[in-house]
Amino acid sequence: MIRFTIRRLVSGVILLFVISSVAFLLLNLGAGNVGRRILGPQGTADTVALKNEQLGLNEPVLTRYFEWLRGAVTGDFGASWFTNQPVDQAISSRLAVTLAIVIGATLVSGFLATVLGVWAARRRGWADKLVQVIAVLGFAIPGFLIAIFLVNVFALNLHWFKPTGYVQMGTSFTGWLSSVTLPIAALSIGAIAAIVQQVRGSVIDALRQDWVRTLRSRGLSENRIVFKHVLRNAGGPALSVLAVQFIGLLGGAVIVEQIFAIPGLGQISVSATAQGDLPLVMGLVLVMGAIVVIVNLLIDLIQGFLNPKARVS
Amino acid sequence: MTESALNLSPDPASEQRAVGSHLARRMLRNATGLASMIVLGLIVLAAILAPLLTQTDPALADVRSILQPSSAAHPLGTDSAGRDVLARLLHGTRYSIAGALLGTTVAAMIGVIGGLLAGYYQKGFESVSSWLVSAIMALPGIVVLLAARAVLGPSLWMAMAVFGVLLAPAFYRLTYTAVVNVRHELFVDAARVSGVGDLSIIGRHILSVVRAPIIIQFAFVMGIAIAIQAGLDFLGLGDQSVPTWGNMLNDAFARMYKSPVLIVWPSLAVALTSTALALFANALRDELERSGKTKKRRRLAGAAAAAPVLAGEEAVVHAELGEDTRADLLTVDSLVVGYDQPDGILKQVVNGVSLRVKRGEVHGLIGESGSGKTQTAWSILRLLPDGGRIVAGTVNFDGKDLAHLSDKEMQKVRGRRISYIPQEPMSNLDPSFTVGSQLAEPMRLALGISAAEAKKRALELLARVGIPNPERTYAAYPHEVSGGMAQRVLIAGAVSCEPDLVIADEPTTALDVTVQAEILDLLRGLQKELGVSILIVTHNFGVVADLCDRVSVMRSGLIVETGPARSIFADPRHPYTQDLFAAILEDGAARGQLDHSADRHTATQGVTP
Amino acid sequence: MFHWKKAVVIATAAVLALAGCTPADSGPEGSSGGTLTLGLLLPASTFSAQGASWANESPYMQAVYDGLLRAEPDGTIVPHLATEWSYSDDLTVLDLTLRDDVTFSDGTPFNADAAAQNLIRFRDGTSPNASFLVNLADAKAIDDTHLELTLSSPDPALLTYLTQNAGLQESPEAFDNPDVETVPVGSGPYTLNVDETVVGNSYVFDKNPDYWKSEDQHYDKLVMNVYTDSTSLLSAIQGGQVNVSTTSDNTTADQIEAAGYTLSPIENNWWGLIIGDRDGTLNPAIGDPRVRQAINYAFDRDAMLQAAADGRGTVTQQVFPTSSPSFDSALDDTYSYDAVKAKKLLAEAGYPDGFDLIMPSAAALGASNFTLIQQQLGDVGIRVTYEEVQVNDYINTIVTGKYAVTFMALQLDPTDWQLSQFELDKTATFNGFHNDDPTVQGHIATIQTGTAEEAEKAGKALNAYIVEQGWFAPWFRPELNTASDATTDVIVQVGNSYPYLWNIKPKA
Repeated sequence: MIRFTIRRLVSGVILLFVISSVAFLLLNLGAGNVGRRILGPQGTADTVALKNEQLGLNEPVLTRYFEWLRGAVTGDFGASWFTNQPVDQAISSRLAVTLAIVIGATLVSGFLATVLGVWAARRRGWADKLVQVIAVLGFAIPGFLIAIFLVNVFALNLHWFKPTGYVQMGTSFTGWLSSVTLPIAALSIGAIAAIVQQVRGSVIDALRQDWVRTLRSRGLSENRIVFKHVLRNAGGPALSVLAVQFIGLLGGAVIVEQIFAIPGLGQISVSATAQGDLPLVMGLVLVMGAIVVIVNLLIDLIQGFLNPKARVS
Repeated sequence: MTESALNLSPDPASEQRAVGSHLARRMLRNATGLASMIVLGLIVLAAILAPLLTQTDPALADVRSILQPSSAAHPLGTDSAGRDVLARLLHGTRYSIAGALLGTTVAAMIGVIGGLLAGYYQKGFESVSSWLVSAIMALPGIVVLLAARAVLGPSLWMAMAVFGVLLAPAFYRLTYTAVVNVRHELFVDAARVSGVGDLSIIGRHILSVVRAPIIIQFAFVMGIAIAIQAGLDFLGLGDQSVPTWGNMLNDAFARMYKSPVLIVWPSLAVALTSTALALFANALRDELERSGKTKKRRRLAGAAAAAPVLAGEEAVVHAELGEDTRADLLTVDSLVVGYDQPDGILKQVVNGVSLRVKRGEVHGLIGESGSGKTQTAWSILRLLPDGGRIVAGTVNFDGKDLAHLSDKEMQKVRGRRISYIPQEPMSNLDPSFTVGSQLAEPMRLALGISAAEAKKRALELLARVGIPNPERTYAAYPHEVSGGMAQRVLIAGAVSCEPDLVIADEPTTALDVTVQAEILDLLRGLQKELGVSILIVTHNFGVVADLCDRVSVMRSGLIVETGPARSIFADPRHPYTQDLFAAILEDGAARGQLDHSADRHTATQGVTP
Repeated sequence: MFHWKKAVVIATAAVLALAGCTPADSGPEGSSGGTLTLGLLLPASTFSAQGASWANESPYMQAVYDGLLRAEPDGTIVPHLATEWSYSDDLTVLDLTLRDDVTFSDGTPFNADAAAQNLIRFRDGTSPNASFLVNLADAKAIDDTHLELTLSSPDPALLTYLTQNAGLQESPEAFDNPDVETVPVGSGPYTLNVDETVVGNSYVFDKNPDYWKSEDQHYDKLVMNVYTDSTSLLSAIQGGQVNVSTTSDNTTADQIEAAGYTLSPIENNWWGLIIGDRDGTLNPAIGDPRVRQAINYAFDRDAMLQAAADGRGTVTQQVFPTSSPSFDSALDDTYSYDAVKAKKLLAEAGYPDGFDLIMPSAAALGASNFTLIQQQLGDVGIRVTYEEVQVNDYINTIVTGKYAVTFMALQLDPTDWQLSQFELDKTATFNGFHNDDPTVQGHIATIQTGTAEEAEKAGKALNAYIVEQGWFAPWFRPELNTASDATTDVIVQVGNSYPYLWNIKPKA
């Protein structure tokens, strides 16, 4: 298993290398006049030229790529072209925020989707229909509308939460909890919709298995069968969906962070990508890529735990 | 989920074709399916007929009539450039649907071809493709889109084609799994052996298996693509010169606080289309899953309906051979079992069974497949599948009527008082837990003993049922033990909580002949040792002759003849029993004539000696 | 084993605790002496004085830096770090007398040498406005309190520049700090609290206890929150999370006022077309003044104001601001909407059937604006086709003269000299085709070197000439609104998107 993990990590590093190379070249395809973009309408041609020179943009793409790569290998990712903040600082301070929200939403949606999915699978009938309706609605309503709705109802009308902003967990735990509640809720609704279908299907599949009858015949309680045995068997497919959702939620965080003015990765990834802030986008590509690699690895390891047949030796 | 539906069919290729021809009809009968198809039909119609439905040019702007409310000229009002919202909505349907269709098609082409090749050839293909899939997932789509836009210019089609590539993993994964699952199926091997080329195998045999799941996935992904298409335009990454729902959303969002109603129409269009596609896919999947089920139910019902024996017909009862002083342990009286059908009708599968099992007795319940013997066994344990229930009659066990016990009380009876040995050993062990934990868990709960004690007893039991290395088997997962071993484990489980009655449902049917004999020996030995009663469900007279004190012969949900095993063997009186004996003499096996109509609620029947 | 009921209880308790812990009145605290929370549309692009931006970023800079001079809300220049100043007769040498009681937050004293270094550094740096000091040949410290600036040619706007980012003073000791871009060392009323600041999202400033002009410190603490999304900005305003904010979207004005905020409008840019190809190099038709006039006649400016800015603003046909002496309200009647006249002018110019025109578009600048341009020009026979460019490169396509006619919003510079240098002069950034019109250049020369009276006359003539020649097709000056809550007083600054920091005060 350790060898498997190491092999996967090595292949992950190669993956990151390839992705970052591709991203660097793609970003340069659409780069345009970077100095002009940074300085805006007021910069004169001379100032723009000076800015471009300062950023080394007069060098050929390959030279700049190797320059970037050399820096990246030694842990120097440069500074944002637009806020001059070092990329590692910009990302590390925001990664925690985004991860808090996305992990929170994954846990909440994973938990609620499991509860709802199991409920629907066991009850069938109207409960099943209800869950399906919820899932379809969650699927169909655009995420930003859900977020705006939550802000208006729970922040602006009921005053339960602040409409925008983020409180560091270190500053005040309850403040932090309060500041992430609405964003997590907004993110979770769509994710629940996606996961609940999978949980329901997997649980129904598992409940149909012969061994469920045998376990029942041994006098095990229904809850024990469902929550210990059935869920463990249904967990594999559901977990795959959850992993995809997790990566999807990183994308969903973009909108939510915008609407709630939360200083996460999503917020800068929008502005950085739109502006073509190459050093920052490259840093984001690496971090997001690493998250994908790690999540996929974790999922495979957990799959092995859940499904002995798939266990890696 | 689709996979389980597929696994039921012996030849997926031909099954699929049959399914295909009936599927359309069944979808029309499915309420969700019908509704979603009507909605999708209307949307497609709107797209085709857009120029006829509105005479207004969707691009015609008018600076002097912006954000107008609904009027005769503009039924849905005008947008921020004074364009007719209805015209844009209708014409937008064309572009949005076409864009989504393009993206989904690209995704499906790449994903399916990649999945087929990777799944079929494995090794090299597989590692390259799965690596590419990870790369696509890890590469931020927005960067790719922006770069593509910078190089190729703004185009709805280009953006959706690029997105198609990014969505390809959805199809790749599905196809890959499905192909790997069928790759080693017999019919593929047969085709390969008979010299059919790889391409032809992939095209004819494998593609037809994965076709249905791909269609479902296509509908799902297209629902997502509709939303993505809208999202791209919403972000201004599409082509603002064409009317699309996304461009409408973009425009409406900028005027959200002035004219909130503008956001409603495109949102509704996107939501409605995505929802209809998702529901369509859901319904399709439900119908595919149900296909196996419905047919079975129908045949099952047919068997019951064709039965000439009416409920209440007296069974032939053989006299007891001597004074039997043993008390009755289980008395089933006029048991009727039925299944509620979706159309509200109750299909009876057991039509009034009465039988008695005395303490320490081995009672054989014999009959052909579909005669209701397994249903009877399950209803004693109250473990009927979904939709099945005891309609009438009593199941008196040691003074309690099991038919009317609460679920909680019934749970206390199971395992501790009545236990169960299933027919198919491999599918009756939870694949996710070790053999040992599945053996120890009920003991801990039912007997209230410690984990260590439970383990000790489990090991003893494993040794007792003839497992050579109990420690190793205890730690093994079900897929690591053989069928015979698994059945021993299940027998050990059945007797682990010292029950009074063991119900064994064809315990040897799925096993090799040599193993069958060993298992019967084991059962006989355990019965003697523990003095339990056994109700053994079988179609095999050999088993009855070998083990049973008394026999009940079942047919079409009724007991036709019952009595001591010896008297019935010596003197079968009911014509049906006589036929059964005649069949053994002719074919050497009781099931000869029954094989082809093997339908029960459990999975496949085993091989008959 | 899964404890279902226990989990529900815990979850419920957590939700209740959460609801209970959160104060309902979650507005920014106090009025005087407390915290001032500002909403801004952009993060600080840098905290280095050398690269400083202005306008929307001016509050960041004004919190931590002092300028050499200061501008009153109406643009009048008043002393700040420089107490006196005087020009030589030929307007090429500027002498400034500086305060002697100012120290930077690192303890370094402020003196003429520091000022000279800062000015040279700004000139040679990459601030968007580095060109403000393009005429600065040298800056010399005579002694600690006397600074002499030598100009290569007269610059009528130099004093104004010194009230803005070009005049900001940073400690010379900090110039070589590795974190010079993110940690400012100035002499300003506040210092950046690096620990509490989340770059790009929320900037926190603490009161500078040693500030030399404590009457400008109206608050103990400043928080500047960035709202890049108009929805989140509106939520923050409606939730009472900011005391003062600029707004980015006039369609939300009603909601903002309903939330109890006061809107203070200024008009500091104009929207319309830059008809840049005045020599007809790309599109010969545009080379004809009659065609450019026809374009001006083609627009229904009131309708455009309504469509593009929700009616908040003033229609105009000239690019000079009302604050300029060169502004002439009579010019705003030159091209009243007249499609017939436009077609006639086109016919006279030899285009009776109109002509084809390629323009750049960028969805992010408001897709409907482009549609409406297309419609109105189309109505008089000018067939517009768009080439969509990335919003990032939109400005670049204008300043490099890639398109004959472009839609744009341009700032209204407070002085005629600035305005000429920005969009009229042959070297001006927004004269993308570098049209070298002798009349225009002549007037600009007079503005630069002439007496105040001559300059004013030249400015008026320049404005009239530009309008008559149809260099632009301006539609309107939109309102830019600053929202302020009931506890805060704001005086808006002419020509700047954000009120100057010291003009934001607790209500008396």
